[in-house]
Amino acid sequence: MSRAASNMVSPDAMLVSAIRSGDEQAMAQLYERYSSIVYSVALRVLGDTGAAEDILQEIFMQLWRSPDVFDATRGSLPGWLAVITRNRAIDSLRKRRPEADITDVIVSIEPDLADAAQSARALEKIRTALGGMPSPQRSALEMAFFEGLTHTEIAEKTGEPLGTIKTRIRAGLLTLRRAFNP
Amino acid sequence: MSVHEQFADDLSLYALGALQGEERLAVVKHLQDCPDCRHELAQLQRDLGLLALSSSGPKPPLRSRERLMATIAKEPRRIPGRVMKRRPWWTVLEWAAAAAAVVMIVLLLHRNADLQRRLVAHDADSTEQQKQLLEAKELIATLTSPDAVHFTLVAAKTPPQPQGKAIYLRSTGTLVFLASNMPELPPQKTYELWLIPTSGAPIPTGLFRPDPHGSAALVKPPLPTGVEAKTFAITVEPAAGSAAPTSTPIMVGS
Repeated sequence: MSRAASNMVSPDAMLVSAIRSGDEQAMAQLYERYSSIVYSVALRVLGDTGAAEDILQEIFMQLWRSPDVFDATRGSLPGWLAVITRNRAIDSLRKRRPEADITDVIVSIEPDLADAAQSARALEKIRTALGGMPSPQRSALEMAFFEGLTHTEIAEKTGEPLGTIKTRIRAGLLTLRRAFNP
Repeated sequence: MSVHEQFADDLSLYALGALQGEERLAVVKHLQDCPDCRHELAQLQRDLGLLALSSSGPKPPLRSRERLMATIAKEPRRIPGRVMKRRPWWTVLEWAAAAAAVVMIVLLLHRNADLQRRLVAHDADSTEQQKQLLEAKELIATLTSPDAVHFTLVAAKTPPQPQGKAIYLRSTGTLVFLASNMPELPPQKTYELWLIPTSGAPIPTGLFRPDPHGSAALVKPPLPTGVEAKTFAITVEPAAGSAAPTSTPIMVGS
């Protein structure tokens, strides 16, 4: 195990660099840090613990085999992991081949999610923002994100006009943004 | 910055992967020409990241970790690279000489492996190569010896100032960094060295805390190859380090 990984809490970018060199303990450290995020997102989308575990394995093995798919200069690892997990889980839900280019996913989240206290505060902010949204807005946003429904499918399902659904999704995302940039 | 209103809603749908066909093509084409909307897309992806995190809570069963580590152990090993090391034994010699010696040692040690192979086939070259190896070993012994006495030379009547010296070889991503007279930090803080590229965000290079004498070193921290450095900078960060600088640099290369 590298000294970088053993003697201090390393920044994610350094752990990814260590993984690039084949450092299994760095991989274990990243797993400890972010497996809960990956598993939670997969479980939320798929609703099945076994399927969520499979996605968890797939995502971390992809990081092990191709650590260069994550570019630390363009985003934060936990945000990136959360979004590519969602995308992969949606692909699995719809039984389609992975179609998104994960190197195009750039998610820059300022709270240090490796820090438990900061992570808990961020989660509280996110949940408060979601809880404060009008129910139809939150519902449209979650159907689009966690169920992978298109705006057309949501409009058909809810009986609302297509334009209304589009606006609700965008407004919901802006509400989340304002929670961190008031 | 202003996002083009006609694309505002569609950018959200594009970020969600919900756009198809002509609608998607129209957004892709517009993004190629519109930096404001590219910026908004990045913001939306960040918003989606936050939304994803809202599901945080459940933890995977322990068997998942065992399964992952077992699978990883079966994967072909990559060639291990050298990783960041601190050299608390180094107090700094006069800067130019010490830095040049370190670079020479690194180069000679790399060369040594090759030299050992050549010795078998080319006995005639071995004497010179052995001599270089001995010189490298002597340099290492000098720099690492606890008995070595080190001095930092400054102008007379000038108190020692914090100093950092970064020697960087872009083609191999090799960096040697030495620091001296660095102020002590509280336990919850650390120094972080950044490579400032000619374009793009600062790249975290390594964390260091000075020894009781104020000295520190980073030798060959893991870095991508081929990145052109505009300069290097040092910030004070939380003890765990940061992926991006969170404070104004206290030292910047000239």
